[in-house]
Amino acid sequence: MTQRATIPMAIALLVTTLGFATLIFVQEAKSPPLIYGAYYAGTMVALYLGVRLWLPHSDALLLAVVTLLTGVGLVMIYRLTYDVPGVENLATTQAGWILVGSAALVLTVLLFKDYHRLFNYKYLLAAVAVGLIASTIFFGYEVNGAQLWLRVGPVNFQPSEFARIALIIFFAGYLADTRDLLAATSRTILGVQVPALKYFGPVALVWAASLGLLVFEKDLGSSLLFFAVPLLMLYVATGRIAYVILGTVLFSVGSLATYFLFDHVQVRVSAWLDPWSQPDTGGFQILQSLFSIADGGITGTGLGEGFSQAIPEVETDFIFSAIASELGLLGSTALLLAFLVFVYRGIKISLLAADDASKLLAFGLTSMFALQTLIIVGGVTKAIPLTGITLPFVSYGGSSVVGNFVLTALLLLVSESAGRRAAEEEDPEVVEGEAA
Amino acid sequence: MNTQLRRTFYLFSFGFVVLVGVMAYWQVYAREDLTNHPSNGLQSRRSQETPRGIIFAGDGETVLARSQRAEGNEYERIYPEGEVFANVVGYWSSRFGGSGIEIGQNNNLSGTGEPETLDELLNQFSGGPETGNNVTLTIDPELQRAAYDELAGSNTGRGAVAAFDPRTGETLALATYPSYDPNVVVEEGFEQISEQPDQPLLDRATQGLYPPGSTFKVITAAAALEAGVRPTDQFDDDGTYETPGYTVYNYRGKDYGEVTFAEALVFSINTVFSEIAVDRIGPERLAAMAREFGFGEDYEDYPLYVEPSDLGLPPEEWAVGNTAPISFGQDRVLSNVFEMGLVASAVANDGDMMQPRLVREVRSSDGVILDRPTPRPLNEVLPGATAATLTDMMQGVVEDGELLAAQIEGTPVAGKTGTAENPQGEPHSWFISFAPADDPEIAIAVMVENGGIIGEDGAAETPALTIAGNLMRTYLDRPAPAPPARQDANPPGIPGGDVGGQSVQPGGQQQQQQQQQQQQQQQQTPPDAFAPFRNQSPQQTPQQQQQQQFQPPASQQQQPFGVPQQQQGVPQQQLEEGPGG
Repeated sequence: MTQRATIPMAIALLVTTLGFATLIFVQEAKSPPLIYGAYYAGTMVALYLGVRLWLPHSDALLLAVVTLLTGVGLVMIYRLTYDVPGVENLATTQAGWILVGSAALVLTVLLFKDYHRLFNYKYLLAAVAVGLIASTIFFGYEVNGAQLWLRVGPVNFQPSEFARIALIIFFAGYLADTRDLLAATSRTILGVQVPALKYFGPVALVWAASLGLLVFEKDLGSSLLFFAVPLLMLYVATGRIAYVILGTVLFSVGSLATYFLFDHVQVRVSAWLDPWSQPDTGGFQILQSLFSIADGGITGTGLGEGFSQAIPEVETDFIFSAIASELGLLGSTALLLAFLVFVYRGIKISLLAADDASKLLAFGLTSMFALQTLIIVGGVTKAIPLTGITLPFVSYGGSSVVGNFVLTALLLLVSESAGRRAAEEEDPEVVEGEAA
Repeated sequence: MNTQLRRTFYLFSFGFVVLVGVMAYWQVYAREDLTNHPSNGLQSRRSQETPRGIIFAGDGETVLARSQRAEGNEYERIYPEGEVFANVVGYWSSRFGGSGIEIGQNNNLSGTGEPETLDELLNQFSGGPETGNNVTLTIDPELQRAAYDELAGSNTGRGAVAAFDPRTGETLALATYPSYDPNVVVEEGFEQISEQPDQPLLDRATQGLYPPGSTFKVITAAAALEAGVRPTDQFDDDGTYETPGYTVYNYRGKDYGEVTFAEALVFSINTVFSEIAVDRIGPERLAAMAREFGFGEDYEDYPLYVEPSDLGLPPEEWAVGNTAPISFGQDRVLSNVFEMGLVASAVANDGDMMQPRLVREVRSSDGVILDRPTPRPLNEVLPGATAATLTDMMQGVVEDGELLAAQIEGTPVAGKTGTAENPQGEPHSWFISFAPADDPEIAIAVMVENGGIIGEDGAAETPALTIAGNLMRTYLDRPAPAPPARQDANPPGIPGGDVGGQSVQPGGQQQQQQQQQQQQQQQQTPPDAFAPFRNQSPQQTPQQQQQQQFQPPASQQQQPFGVPQQQQGVPQQQLEEGPGG
């Protein structure tokens, strides 16, 4: 799995530099202090060097993709906010969050170099996850109709970003232990084979608890992720398509139920089905997004030349629309390809991982990353109903950035273990020497 | 387990491919529909945030309109020459719409046209700013200013001037007075301007319609020459011309006795022209000649809207009582100085009317020439020989008629006056001419609204004559291309001056009604109005609404005579009876 990525890192930083240079010199944007750019570039380079040092067999290409995505995100956040009173410093704040995320990555790598230890605490992690999500019901406050935020001192954060990762660790550890039992079922209900409740129970319980809480918090995007990721992990672990079918049926029933139960879901769905008839109310946001995207055409309007600032929440949920508007079909496709590279490397790590738990962990993290991207990009392009989640690494948002850095750290750890194993098989002595 | 991993990866990949497909759908396939969607305000925002091109006068230096950065990213139009060029340049405002060249050349000025240079193509690809192209007009700034000042100083302070280079069709001046300050429109809209008297928003040069009076005799004379009348043919004028039911009189009741056709033009003898029109030309040929000269033509290639001139009834419905007054530009004949200037141009240019032009060249913002229209003939109105004869006759009008105000030392001038009766008040004072008559460089039409004030002795003032003379002198006196000097004898002629259209008893009242209905013009819209907003919205944009809303006020009282196109349903008032009959 050993993968160097010095040139991709250099390219990613170059792209970011070019983006800022365009905004400052062509668009005459007021420059943020250059020191922030130096912080950012220095952080990413130091991170890369640190990972190459501490995890020499890991897949460092992940970091190059992360650098590209965070860089493009920074440029775009800066472009969208530098001349908007009140949020002029959003890009420097985001750079700060990237610094915090990098620290979290380093911390994770150092603390959990033997990440298998995490699986020992899987039930604890599950409890922490549910607790984190539940905490917002009691201590959280509401933003845009969804009660997702927790205030800790001066910092606001979204616990669900971290609860996801904890839950994936739990599912990976649990499914690795019980996958044979879950797969070998004998009972059938209505022709569908179902697993023994004894083994499936804990999965269903954690699943239902987190899902239920999220539905109450009206965080539909996260609910979808919490539902789909464990389902895919279950499928990978057992190889049984029946779970997927069962899950899809459950999802459909659940969707219908939430549609009839919650007004805000109905608003979202009607804005998705027919935004044209309500251009100034429910459909405003998605229409502005589509107009901006269409305005870009194939080559885009050029950085700083678009009008995507008209989209509400453009620097978070709708940042992809702004990128598509100013960089065009070519730019947005390139960005999607960068995401796909990340997903591809994640799946490859999973394929090469030695044990089931590692495979499932890498797969769970990767599929969460992939689904999150697909759901938000599909949402802002009206391919599916819009749900408010961030575009990983690109959107503005501290919790999201830090959470995704931790996710990357775990993927790097799994890839390091797989890479080390592969290297041992080829030339055991070299590895011994390195270890010494 | 690896099989499932691969399968899910294919699933994710499929998802990404679908997303790229969705993006392609929005950004390529459905792009135009979305761009044109009525809720989409991006295009109008873009047009406000892009500097428009500069409009230059014909010297290539005088700036008539430029964009200046206002608050935020928006640009605002500045018009350094203000009122003098307002009717030509127009105004452009995101709130109040646009007019004039600003609309007529909007595709060039806004830079929304197809990319025409490599730079523009690169800019479009890289998304760089698409600055508008610069437009240079043919207008001679000095002549335009002189024309504006002359009109301002005329006896009624209302009027228009149109001057062309007859050889190329270039518009040298197109002035109207009173005018308005486009800077005020951009700043605060039309409220203040529309409160002013005398309709400053109306371009009298191209859009006001007035009876042309005796200047129309140039057209009648051309038709007569084509019908075989020779300048030396003798006619007997006893002071009246009888048609069934009506009698044409000469101005101030004069009778001239035995005169030649050429003299009839010099003294503007209505009776002789009536006789020639009725007996020798006939309605069909007279109407056909007027159409050859551009009556009924809207000059759609001209970047400003031109109200077509009109003869009133179709010729097959003319009674003798119509043909006679039409021959001297009364009855229901309506025209404007733009059209009558082109009439003079056509005679001047050996009978060939050139396509009238206002734009000399279009350059990209970095100076690459994108368009430089070449002169091209619009219509062969007259055979060269006929044009030459007519030129001699018109030269006789200035010289033998002793129109001293229009004479230029050392330069032969050809022209024809007009004092056009109208029911609104004093007659309109007209003069059309060109000079030098043997090698014309400028053709000009001047009209002073109600300027033909009748004095106590019954003679009308002729402010248009003075203005035209001054302007031709201004233009020809300049050092650049010196006109060939030719000393012409200035034989003392018979005292003359112009004699205007005379009273006729109106035709049947019913015809009048019908005529009035035909006169109800359609609301005018410049042909290329709001091209940029058209792709913004298939529906009516706010700008369009504003544009219509801010047409000059429709106050019937203040409506100058012969301006029917500004509103629907206001019948054109017709000449019924003039003084001096």
